[in-house]
Amino acid sequence: MTAVLEVLNLTKRFNGKAAVENLSFTLAGQTATALIGPNGSGKTTTMSMLAGLLRQTAGTVSFGKAEGDPRANIGFLPQYPSFFPWMNALEYLEMAAGLSGLPARGLRLECEKALGFVGLSGSAGKRVGGFSGGMKQRLGLAQAIIHRPSLLLLDEPVSALDPAGRREVMDMLKELGERSTILYSTHILNDAEEMTDQLLFLREGKLVEQGALEDIREKYGGDGYRLEFTDRGSAQRFAASCPWPAAIEGTVVRVGASAASLESVLGFAAGHADGVRTVGRDTVRLEEIFMKVVGRP
Amino acid sequence: MRQFWIFLKREWMEQVRGFKLIWVPLVFIFFGALEPLTYHFMPQILESVGNLPDGAEFNLPDMTGGDILMSLTGQYQMIGTLVLVLAFMAALSGERKSGAGTLLYVRPISYAAYFTSKWLSASLLGTLSVWLGYGMAMTYVIQLYDRYPDAGSIMRFLAVYSIWILLVITLTVAASAALPTGGAAGAALGILFIGQIVQGMFGSHWTWSPWKLPEYGMAFLDGGPETGGLTGAVAVSAVLIFLLVVFGSVAARRNASRAKV
Repeated sequence: MTAVLEVLNLTKRFNGKAAVENLSFTLAGQTATALIGPNGSGKTTTMSMLAGLLRQTAGTVSFGKAEGDPRANIGFLPQYPSFFPWMNALEYLEMAAGLSGLPARGLRLECEKALGFVGLSGSAGKRVGGFSGGMKQRLGLAQAIIHRPSLLLLDEPVSALDPAGRREVMDMLKELGERSTILYSTHILNDAEEMTDQLLFLREGKLVEQGALEDIREKYGGDGYRLEFTDRGSAQRFAASCPWPAAIEGTVVRVGASAASLESVLGFAAGHADGVRTVGRDTVRLEEIFMKVVGRP
Repeated sequence: MRQFWIFLKREWMEQVRGFKLIWVPLVFIFFGALEPLTYHFMPQILESVGNLPDGAEFNLPDMTGGDILMSLTGQYQMIGTLVLVLAFMAALSGERKSGAGTLLYVRPISYAAYFTSKWLSASLLGTLSVWLGYGMAMTYVIQLYDRYPDAGSIMRFLAVYSIWILLVITLTVAASAALPTGGAAGAALGILFIGQIVQGMFGSHWTWSPWKLPEYGMAFLDGGPETGGLTGAVAVSAVLIFLLVVFGSVAARRNASRAKV
């Protein structure tokens, strides 16, 4: 697999204040990477630099294909895409495709196909000015993929959608992921868990954690057992008395899967039944990792 | 080149659907009609407005068609300039502000094609509106006034004055590329009006000044310009327009990062 995008020490300062600092990562072909971080952590700034909108203060961004305008191979979807309200969806898409150099021959068909893919076939002739947020997001996705770019940069592609729309768009992204490389930012961690080969955690402009989902899960607890107690006291008593290494977080005690079998955990919990609310198998959730990695300092 | 046509088509669509194609010419046509009519019917207007003491007499100047066109030009120099600046001050800055430009700037576009498409469509619309305005004025002049300049003089006047109008539009669109909408309007109006003031105070020696173009143009309605400065002023203006187009294209590229994401 060749790298589609290589970022080295990417830095952006606004009036001396760093918004993104020394960011380095690589995107391999046909992979999906989730850029995760709280609001203001530099996700959009990073996306803008990669898309060629913002010029970095320092560092390099190199694309796999060296020749030509790199923008030709990038599809970009901002968080709140805005269009020309007096154009209809098909006209807009035809313009976008033409500007990206798609041949005029067969252009309309391509655009109609893309609108069909994002579920806007029925609204192709409607003015964008009357579109809902969800429809704009779909048109935004259509304009990002119309020129079949090798790299898709999607800034919060599903955050503004309702649950049903989010589901649909996630499915579209998965399908797109089979032929393009995707870098998307999100703070909806369920989505990141669903479609990602690599995670990048940003905090205050710095990359604080990165790696494959499994590796990061393993690092932050991995598979194990999760025991929830009614109060902190019971949790602490349990953790202190149990024979395995246990991690406490409030009323939750976690035991690593390698340390004990489910039977032994259940057996031990049965002996300390007072205060136990739930016991079960558990994989450390991205949300918990998120809080640890980028949450309160 | 293909991008230029795509952009131009989009500009045309915007002018049609945003009704700019209607209201900009309408303003000029309105003033074009008003000028010959008000002067011609001035006695009746004064009479019907009334409240004049008995025996009051006015000696209204005997206006010729040429005088009407010059007076109309005076109107266009104030109100016309304002209308053109208002119509085109957001040409580029508006797209940065709304974020609609963002999705253009992430494509492999030529900023020169982007800017020149806007410049050309604004120039065509603005110039055409001015012509229509004078056309309207002439329609009434021919019917209501005995003496008026011949077609050749009017054409020569229009040719020279159109260069001035082009300069106004080019300056506005270029300012819109470089500055936010408010700043663009302020800069364009400031440069145009301050230039006129400076022109009025110290301009007698600098015959090549673009600000002299309206004056030179109007001289054609009254026998032709007396100085040989016309060629120089046209040349300076042409160079200025060219430089502003280059500047605007560069500014559009530099400011792409200011587009709302």
